[in-house]
Amino acid sequence: MNRTRLFELLLGLILLWAFVGFFYTPLDPLSQDYTGNRLSGPSFSHLLGVDGLGRDLFSRIWLGSGHSILMGLVATVGNLALAALILFAEQKAPAWFSQFILSFVSGWLAIPVIFIALLLLVFLEQGPGTLVIAAALGNVPFTFRQLRVLWLYQKETLYVQASLVLGSQSWNLFRRTIWPNLKPDVSGLSKLIFAFSLLEVSGLAFLGLIGDPDFPELGSILRQNKSYLLADPWQVIWPGIFLSGILLLVQLSRSEQE
Amino acid sequence: MPLNSLVEFLVNGLKKCGVLVGALIGASILLFTAIQLLEGDPIALRLKNPDPETVALERERLGLNDPLLTQYFNYFENFMTGDWGRSLITQRPVVEDLFSRLTATLELTLSAMFLGVLYGIPIALFASSGSAWIFRKLSHGLGVIGVVIPIFWLGFILIVIGSLWLNVFPTEGRFDYTYDKPHVTGFLILDVLLAGRGDLFGLVVNHLFLPALCLSFYPAAVVINVIHPRMQDPITRNLIMSLKARGFGPVRLWLKHLLKLAGAPVVTALGTSFGALLGGAVLTETVFSWPGMGSFLVGAILEKDLFVIENGFLFIILLVFAVVCLADTVAFSMDPKIKKGGS
Repeated sequence: MNRTRLFELLLGLILLWAFVGFFYTPLDPLSQDYTGNRLSGPSFSHLLGVDGLGRDLFSRIWLGSGHSILMGLVATVGNLALAALILFAEQKAPAWFSQFILSFVSGWLAIPVIFIALLLLVFLEQGPGTLVIAAALGNVPFTFRQLRVLWLYQKETLYVQASLVLGSQSWNLFRRTIWPNLKPDVSGLSKLIFAFSLLEVSGLAFLGLIGDPDFPELGSILRQNKSYLLADPWQVIWPGIFLSGILLLVQLSRSEQE
Repeated sequence: MPLNSLVEFLVNGLKKCGVLVGALIGASILLFTAIQLLEGDPIALRLKNPDPETVALERERLGLNDPLLTQYFNYFENFMTGDWGRSLITQRPVVEDLFSRLTATLELTLSAMFLGVLYGIPIALFASSGSAWIFRKLSHGLGVIGVVIPIFWLGFILIVIGSLWLNVFPTEGRFDYTYDKPHVTGFLILDVLLAGRGDLFGLVVNHLFLPALCLSFYPAAVVINVIHPRMQDPITRNLIMSLKARGFGPVRLWLKHLLKLAGAPVVTALGTSFGALLGGAVLTETVFSWPGMGSFLVGAILEKDLFVIENGFLFIILLVFAVVCLADTVAFSMDPKIKKGGS
């Protein structure tokens, strides 16, 4: 087993662990403990301690990781689908229109995701869904450009040209000849997009754009615990360790594919 | 500069201006449309006495009852003449509010960029010219940090180390309010010097250091990711080898030859990443309670502050485009390869 496979396995296990959080956490991530042990350090009943409102930090992080990862995954899928759709349109459209698409995308590329999210909030409700849409939209130009380079390269290769000459239908050509060669690159690209989306979703939640401040998500947990930074720094350190850990695994599992 | 390359430079600059005008028109139409789709009436929300008559009067006064096309042209004209209206919340001119916040953000962003380039370029050059392994590790590590560690968490870690443990830096804010804040340009680091208060310079730098360091990892990573692959290029490796063989010392080698090679792509990459850096600045500001435009824009959006959204966002989008175009133009004049009509 090579290193990348090992990290992929670890990443899979982390994702599985995070999704278990939707069904089981040691304590209720939302219920407050009124016995007065707020901001108490780690103990057997509270593995990572208790936050300033008397809630179990480990349970909050567990469910929060689940939420963050799910939001990141949905954003990634939406992003890839939209970018592929635009690429399809750009390839099929008449020259002047594809030129328009290309310049529109380069303009879009310059606008940071946070501003796109803020603009979306002008006419969408605050909430996890809006953050997912913003993260998906924000990375579309990047994904589009990457996919376009991969596609143009594949189109010019000898085996695709040969297959065309032999008269294969376009769907079969894509499925049998292009896709197997494209797959490793697209898989690496989607891992990168997932890392971006996760960073963006939690960043936007950290800005307080997720709506409900108690919604357990790694970014919004960091925002809430910011006020305890001076009293108990671990309240802020732990959620970040989990977030960075997930991101590090994503990076390690794609590093050798390039 | 010979005449024909000057002409080429000017033509290129004009093209960039065209891009800027296109961006201005496109972004203003998009923003205007977005405002039309706004849910709820922001005017009614702001009025103490929201009976239909008062609302209608107020809308009439603000010109919101005109035909859409007239409204759009009014908006465009007002934006261009700097008449950006008053904020519906603070009732102060949007221009004043925005610029007092924007200068704080720009001070942070530019310092971070300066700091990142200051340590990013030497690390990248040392790492690529095959010297000590520690620079190779550093350059690789910095390249990865940018994608793995969320900037807002990095900020907290810096506060924990710098303020809590070392007790050297303040945890938040831009200035100590026991002193009067000099006001000349809005950039505090310049203002204290212009106002002749050199004694406060240390205070300003002390407040600025942690946020700027936090944000600087991003431009440093950009610089390293641009320089490193270029230096691995076989042609460049041969150049380095032959220059070393001719007896060039490291300082002359890096400053005179390698920096010239890497300069243009670094400027382009920094320009392109300026938007993302502004986005990072918004997050960093929240961590360090920096009084920048992050909280201002978030507030404007959540409170549906019409004129701030229309004009503030348009200005920031234009600013991002202008920086990209400027960086392109500068890179164009720096890189002999681009001048020869390459990519």
